[in-house]
Amino acid sequence: MERSQLHQKNLDKIFYPDSVAIVGANKVQGTVPGDLLLNLAKSDFNGIIFPVSPREKFIAGIKSYRYVLDIPDPVDLAIIVFQASVVNLALEQCGQKGIKSAIIISAGFKEVGGGGVDLENNLKAIANKYEMSFIGPNCLGVINTDPRSKLNASFARNMPEEGSIAFLSQSGALCTAVLDYARAKEIGFSKFISFGNKADISEIDLLHYLKNDPKTKVILVYLEEVTNGVALMKVAREIIHDTGKPILVMKAGRTSAGAKAAASHTGSLAGSDQICDAAFKQAGIIRCDNIEEMFNKATAFAYQPAPKGNRVAIVTNAGGPGVLTTDATIHEGLELAQFSDATKEEFRKNLPKTANINNPVDVIGDARADRYNIALSGAFEDSGVDAVFTILTPQSMTDIDLIAREIAKVSSHYDKPVYASFMGEADVAVGVHSLQRNRIPHYLLPESMAKSMATVYKFSQLAGINGAEPVVFKDVDKETVDAILMGAKAAGKSFLTEEEAVKILAAYKLPVLESTLVNSAEEAVKVVTRIGFPAVMKIMSDDIVHKFDVGGVLLDIKTAGEAEEGFTKIMDSVKAHLPTAHLKGVLIRKMIPAGEEVIVGGKRDPAFGAVLMFGLGGIFVEVLKDVTFRIAPLSRKDAAEMISGIKAFPLLNGARGRTPRDLAGITDVLLRLSQMATDFPQIRELDINPLIVLDKAAGCYVADAKIML
Amino acid sequence: MERIEVETRVKKVVASLLKINLAEVTDNANFIFDLGADSMQSLELVAAFEEEFDIELDQDKALAVQTVADAVNFISGYVD
Repeated sequence: MERSQLHQKNLDKIFYPDSVAIVGANKVQGTVPGDLLLNLAKSDFNGIIFPVSPREKFIAGIKSYRYVLDIPDPVDLAIIVFQASVVNLALEQCGQKGIKSAIIISAGFKEVGGGGVDLENNLKAIANKYEMSFIGPNCLGVINTDPRSKLNASFARNMPEEGSIAFLSQSGALCTAVLDYARAKEIGFSKFISFGNKADISEIDLLHYLKNDPKTKVILVYLEEVTNGVALMKVAREIIHDTGKPILVMKAGRTSAGAKAAASHTGSLAGSDQICDAAFKQAGIIRCDNIEEMFNKATAFAYQPAPKGNRVAIVTNAGGPGVLTTDATIHEGLELAQFSDATKEEFRKNLPKTANINNPVDVIGDARADRYNIALSGAFEDSGVDAVFTILTPQSMTDIDLIAREIAKVSSHYDKPVYASFMGEADVAVGVHSLQRNRIPHYLLPESMAKSMATVYKFSQLAGINGAEPVVFKDVDKETVDAILMGAKAAGKSFLTEEEAVKILAAYKLPVLESTLVNSAEEAVKVVTRIGFPAVMKIMSDDIVHKFDVGGVLLDIKTAGEAEEGFTKIMDSVKAHLPTAHLKGVLIRKMIPAGEEVIVGGKRDPAFGAVLMFGLGGIFVEVLKDVTFRIAPLSRKDAAEMISGIKAFPLLNGARGRTPRDLAGITDVLLRLSQMATDFPQIRELDINPLIVLDKAAGCYVADAKIML
Repeated sequence: MERIEVETRVKKVVASLLKINLAEVTDNANFIFDLGADSMQSLELVAAFEEEFDIELDQDKALAVQTVADAVNFISGYVD
């Protein structure tokens, strides 16, 4: 059985064990082994606990065993809390006992380097030998709030409430902070998992498990490193497509120090974080910047139905906050609902004359729960409303708690979402508490409320179309590319000449112009006379990457005489700059007509594989860094999003009277390059810079290309 | 000093400090896994060996010693 299949089987015993051995337990409160046992005992665990301790006969009144092998009954799960140096001995005995699932809490493994790496590898070997699966090492543990289990196998101080949100974290310390934060906001969890060094069971395995967990509706992940980006994208797509469960990820490392010197523009622009961003977007993963944003969005997903549209009604008792909420609503791409005449009539009849009966509905500062009831009921009843934002500011006559309950009561009759922002802190706390107890998502700021609803709305819109298939062209010539790459490898080359690069691109039907290598001024004249004017001349050498810098390029050659002179000029200039460079000759091709310059590139990322980049070319790419990324293979939708995703997109799409450019041509280039990058992993980086894009339907041309191996 | 003497004295120190029967202190017993020494007791054991044999041990190497037999070999290297 594959390890990943084995993990799915064994994970069930991690979350739903009938019996648990705590291996390395002790009596000392305030230590990890001592507290872990007490936490489990206090969590009303629906199973048997076996402490295993070399020295204690009883711990917390429970009979203790010297070795796990001494336990007379079967054991489903071992939680190992011994010091790192003897965890291997404990795990070996667990294997001999027939225990298939373990959580290794102990630290002192890969994270400390040196001998810790060997210790961790040893654990993997033992798990492999006995067909065991383990979470950790170096983790906080696991919590399952499902009443069927009630397992707090962690050294977190408190067991959270039951809920429908699962939280996975690579950091154990963050787990306790999140638990404390969530407790204050009365947010419950279905499963809470600290997976530490992920030596055996990884976030990918856990995501697979949570896909089928009926208790989990929303999945939150904190990651510090993505080790297998391709698998992460695959499982995320499966979860979103098959179950509609959203995945929200907070990924550390926004600021990248890894923009290493690279030979291509793509290489230097594609930091790991930008690639992560692109991959998450492509897979439908919602990336969050901080814990607050993550839980703001998670509660919107978990507590309320998804809105069927983006038309929002705002009910407020204050004008200013109503305006702020309107701004936030529009800013997030949502719309203000237009009330029907019947709704407005209802409001006119039942609300004070001074109330605003249009959207936002202002029920006036002295409003009590009855007025909120009228406004909310009217908004929910209106078929032109998809969701309701409720705003409250605390005046002396505002019955905050009653209004909060009224929101819960009224909204419970409708299949439309409601979100609330009770603005303030101390006075509104009683109402916020009611909202939280009644699972009405609450936000300190209207901006967070609008952002969270917009996320849910966009996710519900995208969920159905995420399964777009990668495009595969059948007219490509893989053999030619293979032969060129093998030749380059045999010659020990780290980058291809332009001539080779052009041949490779031509084999994948990318729009390159025919070019001819000449070795004399006379040959140059013959070639330009044949291909026509204007023409371009470029030096060819394996030793030169940046041809412009050494005077190796001449543009706009208009006559045979210019071509003749040009040959000599290029050769002289390059020899002066790089006397030792081996020169193959000068490449001549017809000059491409004027158009918009864009850059299309690709690089290989250790976690995500082939990554493609698109942006405006020339100086824009370096100065503005206005580029988009996607992971190959691309679907047509991915390619279209890459093009429309740059800020300068209007320049390509005919803004302010400009001629629209050939977007279909760029799409084709991106898709063919995606296929090439997928087919040939030995291509490390490539740049087409610039790709000249002509007017709509007129095509585009590769003006310069670099391929690095 | 004869190895057997080192062994006898090491085992006595271990049994006394960890408050266990001398019979439990077998050659292959692991200080942590079999005898239940915690990290503080591991430090105390090193100090107790130093006092017992009037020697000064390399702390890092001493703490890396896992079994009674390894401790006997390690300490034998420090005594004549």
